[in-house]
Amino acid sequence: MNNEGKFGLIETISIVTIVIVSKILFTSESVVVDFVGTAAWYMTLLSCFTSIIFFLILYILMKRFPGKNLIEIFQLVTGKIVGKLLGFLFALYFLYYAGSNLREFIEMIKAYSYPYTATSLFLVTFIIVTLLLSYKGLENIARISYITLIIFIIGISTILLLALPNANFLYLRPYLGYGVKSTLYYGLLRSSSYDEIIILALIIKSVHGLKNFKIAGLISLGIAGLVSSISLVIYLAIFQHDMGAENLSGMFQISRTIYFNIYFQRLESIFLFTWVITSLVTVSIGFYVSISTYCKTFNIADHRPLLLPFSFLMYIIALKPKDISEIIYTNMAIVREYSGMLLYLVPTLVLIIAFITNKRGVVNNEEKA
Amino acid sequence: MKRKLSLLIILLILFSLFSGCKDSTEIDENVYTIVIGLDKGSNDNIVLTIQYPQFKSSSKVTSGSSSNTSVDSIETSSILSGIDEFNMAISRNVSLKHTKLIVFSEELAREGIGKYLAPLARFREARRSMFVAVSNGKAVDFINENRSSISENITKSVELMLSQAKGTSYFPFIIFHTFYKNMLSPYGETIAMYIGVNNLSGLAIGKADIPHSALETDIKPGELPRTGGVKREYVGTAVFRGDKMVGYLNPYETRYMSMITGSFEKALLTIVDKKSPGDVIPLDVRLGRKPKISGFFNKGTPIINIKLNMEADIGAIQSRINYEDPGMIEDLNNQIKTYLETEIKKMLTKTQEEFKSDVFEFGTIFAAYFGTIQEFEGYDWLKHYPDAKINLDLTVSIRRTGLIIHSFPVLGTPKTK
Amino acid sequence: MKNAFLKKILTPISYKNIPNVKEFYIPEVNENAEKSKENLEKEISVSGSINDNLNFIKTAFNFENNKDIIIREFKLQNKKDAFIAYLDGMVDRNIINNFILRPLMNDPSSLNTEDSIFERVIETNQAKKLTIQKDVIYGILTGDTAVYLDGKDYYVLCETKGFEKRAVDKPHNEAVIKGSQEAFSENLRTNITLIRKIIKNNNLTTEFLEIGDENRNLCAITYLKGIINPAIVDEVKRRINGIKTDFINGSGMLEQFIEDSPMSIIPTVLSTERPDVVASHIVEGKISIIAEGTPFAIIVPITISALLVSPEDSALRWQYGTLLRIIRIIALFLATLLPGIYIAITTYHQEMIPTELLLAIAIARENVPFPTIVEILLMEFSFELIREAGVRIPGMLGTTIGIIGVLVVGQASVQADLVSPVLIVIIATTGLANYTIPDFSFSTGIRIIRLFFIILGAFLGFYGISIGIVILLSFLVDMKSFGVPFLSISIPKTRKSFNKFIKYPIWKQELRPDEVNPLKLRRQPKVSRRWIQENPKSSYDRKDEDE
Repeated sequence: MNNEGKFGLIETISIVTIVIVSKILFTSESVVVDFVGTAAWYMTLLSCFTSIIFFLILYILMKRFPGKNLIEIFQLVTGKIVGKLLGFLFALYFLYYAGSNLREFIEMIKAYSYPYTATSLFLVTFIIVTLLLSYKGLENIARISYITLIIFIIGISTILLLALPNANFLYLRPYLGYGVKSTLYYGLLRSSSYDEIIILALIIKSVHGLKNFKIAGLISLGIAGLVSSISLVIYLAIFQHDMGAENLSGMFQISRTIYFNIYFQRLESIFLFTWVITSLVTVSIGFYVSISTYCKTFNIADHRPLLLPFSFLMYIIALKPKDISEIIYTNMAIVREYSGMLLYLVPTLVLIIAFITNKRGVVNNEEKA
Repeated sequence: MKRKLSLLIILLILFSLFSGCKDSTEIDENVYTIVIGLDKGSNDNIVLTIQYPQFKSSSKVTSGSSSNTSVDSIETSSILSGIDEFNMAISRNVSLKHTKLIVFSEELAREGIGKYLAPLARFREARRSMFVAVSNGKAVDFINENRSSISENITKSVELMLSQAKGTSYFPFIIFHTFYKNMLSPYGETIAMYIGVNNLSGLAIGKADIPHSALETDIKPGELPRTGGVKREYVGTAVFRGDKMVGYLNPYETRYMSMITGSFEKALLTIVDKKSPGDVIPLDVRLGRKPKISGFFNKGTPIINIKLNMEADIGAIQSRINYEDPGMIEDLNNQIKTYLETEIKKMLTKTQEEFKSDVFEFGTIFAAYFGTIQEFEGYDWLKHYPDAKINLDLTVSIRRTGLIIHSFPVLGTPKTK
Repeated sequence: MKNAFLKKILTPISYKNIPNVKEFYIPEVNENAEKSKENLEKEISVSGSINDNLNFIKTAFNFENNKDIIIREFKLQNKKDAFIAYLDGMVDRNIINNFILRPLMNDPSSLNTEDSIFERVIETNQAKKLTIQKDVIYGILTGDTAVYLDGKDYYVLCETKGFEKRAVDKPHNEAVIKGSQEAFSENLRTNITLIRKIIKNNNLTTEFLEIGDENRNLCAITYLKGIINPAIVDEVKRRINGIKTDFINGSGMLEQFIEDSPMSIIPTVLSTERPDVVASHIVEGKISIIAEGTPFAIIVPITISALLVSPEDSALRWQYGTLLRIIRIIALFLATLLPGIYIAITTYHQEMIPTELLLAIAIARENVPFPTIVEILLMEFSFELIREAGVRIPGMLGTTIGIIGVLVVGQASVQADLVSPVLIVIIATTGLANYTIPDFSFSTGIRIIRLFFIILGAFLGFYGISIGIVILLSFLVDMKSFGVPFLSISIPKTRKSFNKFIKYPIWKQELRPDEVNPLKLRRQPKVSRRWIQENPKSSYDRKDEDE
């Protein structure tokens, strides 16, 4: 049943890491600093840690049913109808995720570089690239995400290193932010910003086995947490906690303040390329996972006829928010704060139900092949 | 049918691509503002002045002194509306993408400039790496004199002049990002460059009322005793509280300020020779180590300890006394130390008592004693800065004496009667 | 005479009858010409009578009209009839005269026993017995001589190839300074010999395959048995045998038939005219295909790093090799992206270049009447014209016109204020960067990709260029060359490769490239210079010398 191809450990890590870590290039940093102030850098580590715990719960669930992906487990444990409903919800969530990210990207690029260009132009060209990548399949996306991860790491490190002379690490004081309670609360809530790790469970048949699944998940979450935390430390050191909550995009502003001397300035084109390429790949991955989950839920063999209808739906979702404030406070709040209820709690509940009803997966030899 | 459908789709895509050209502008369809100036106008208006280079190729410009920039002014309500209204008179689109300097007049600065900076922070074209300066007179006068006698390349002159701040520290290196950040900051207050226009008449040889130049006089922009090719000058710092200007530091005090904040690179300090009054000793000083600043609370009073370590090279000994002797070097060290301590303490007192403004960002030291941001902002460090006690621990060591290791006196000079 | 002259002038305007002369046109015919082929397809054996065979040869080669085929009838020892048939010009006449005709006509033993004709009498170094008619035809066509004796049911085909061919010459397109200076020629046997001179290994196998139905061309595949993975050999043979077309001349056409993704702009086979390149790839576990007719060999399977490597890299020290490789990769990026980035920056993102540069460009553009995109397309087009013309201008002018013409046209356009000088620098740099790419097909492909990026940059700025990069990447990662993923330097991850990006010293290249899965992976032991570990013959211990 698996026609998605197989790929190795590094590519698995790249797919999930690039999806999780691309959000630091958007409004995520400013919103986090707005909530918790100077405690942002360890709040994100707390979120990462929570997310690792939920991932281990997911791993236990996957280990109980070896060789099956998450949708099949839902159908096995909770019955066909509820299972199909859950799969459908997941597909819908990822479509919403892709559409919201798309809209956030468009708003940002129109604010910074292209104020007078029509939104539909960005939408159409972006969706064309997404369609192309999704048409070619998961192996193609995995290989591109490996290259994109390299580009991302090089771009971000360059920007952060070049911006270091402007940084004053004393701005990280007072260390507790707005209070330990608010840090803990937002830390737990924002663990949803790492919940794209569940993509691994949906594509597990292309990953070589459960051991790779666990290693890939842990390494991806580790890298994502580390990169987010370091970028937040430097962000807070350059902008303080009050000005840091103001910016539309933290990283873009950092790249605009790089000024060494008359010849070495204006280096934000590095950031622009990194950011556009990463966003293209992130939205494509979200879109592809949505279609793939839908196909797995309803046992559709070929995902390609669904590409155009889903892209139309994504177009609608991207155009629905009225303005940038709605995107930040509604869409991104759902995607980065409340989505954990769907993506983390549902597998946990399914695991509990599986314990109670004592269902176990049958080791099927043909699945292992 | 299939072919027609695919052709239709391709045409749709192509046509949608063409509509993207709305954002594309040719390079020569814009003029690129280099300097913006803001003056007080009538009835809450401001007078916006822009200076932009002209696109004349160098073979057509006549002589070096006439600049190839154009200075335009308009009275308007805010910067953005002014830029827009300029499009009624200037044939190309005015673009702020390459603005290097923004100048406020002192009148406007003393009333508060926060409301003029806010739109620049939000506007996509204005970069946060432009410099902020306050002008002693009107901004438009400064901008009219903003040219260089060395070359016609105005952008290079502006940028190189601004980078002189790093070399001599007579005026601070403040970009918009730093200014805006410190304006909003609970840790300290902001400063700006203090600039002005000199009418080049201060250097009358033989005039009796110019004090000894070794004494650091309280010079304002426009008062440098010099003549030269251009009239504009950058002299000292403008000190703010919040977004209102409350005073200025003269260039010598600016140097001491930058010693404490750590941005000091090198300077030429001149002290009067105690063993031979009437002669001076210029020294090349720099920071030996980054200043160590620590602070603690003593019964509610903040105590700040500053440890400065300066190194110096002897520039000249006018009196030809043999200061290079090991015993005498210690004496010279002490002379420098006494001098610097007095001056730095004077400057610190000035910021505490006269300006009541913490331009050194000592707040970052004390923020460690508070747990959460609410507590720190509740304490309001900026109000408590004048109560702080500042202790200065200064060590000066002369490292090198230039190319001469032993000074001998001049022999055979006839005694003056 | 005057009358004739006058007549000539007056004829077009007079009312005399002008004879009605018809024009030539090509009439339509029914396409049922397949019948003549069927005779040759069937495997008809040689008949026993000399007249039948004579008729057979004469009809097969259109003897009445075709003056190339020569049939020489003679008698053996004045008793038996025989003839030889050959194509004039394809054979070496000395061999026929001295070693076929003379012994047959003079040697007394030629009449004695039946089959000893070709064991004892004919004195050529290769002689084959042919019993199928179409093999005889093919043999004559390749330049051999067919000998037939009356009463036998076979022909003897003697090797007498002696057609004109080009001598081994210097390579025209892949010149190096320190490598060998021999290049392939159009003749298949010469080419294979050049490879054999370098690889003196008994496992070096050459298989011949026939391609092209009407021109019956030969192609040779060469591989090193025992190192290459046999699956590659099978796949290559399967693809070549599966070609059904009428005319294939040379490797250029052949590669288009067998390559994996014919719609891709970037080639997936390496085409080279140097035998040392072919030899180094064969030893690494790849296969080389040489088709008769062009002096190029095709090497499969390859990855993208093979297209960026010059044959000189292995002859130089690793430091120079690495430096040159880095320069080539930078040149690749410049050649693809530079004009696109220029137009994107100057029209959409003017804040991303330093102010000085911006003002210099603006001042230069002040008098130019065209928008930037038209300038760029104009200059690109004129440079392509100059390049194409430079290929065809005869003699010494051809090579110089390329560079001088570019500069002169550029300079003149700048003086006339048609283009800005910055643009000339950009286009010239791009052109030079394009020429540093060693492979010709690849650099032509890059030209097309560059055009694509210029259009994207002009319509959408940096966003368009990023989209172009992602689309290009997504096509690149999918390309495969005979089962090997094209972008194998990084994806999928293979074992550490010693010769891809940074060139390791030659004494450290221990493994063969992993992606072709050769049968023997290790090519050098860990210590390949054993002389380091031993003491030299005359040596001394430096510590205890008093000198």
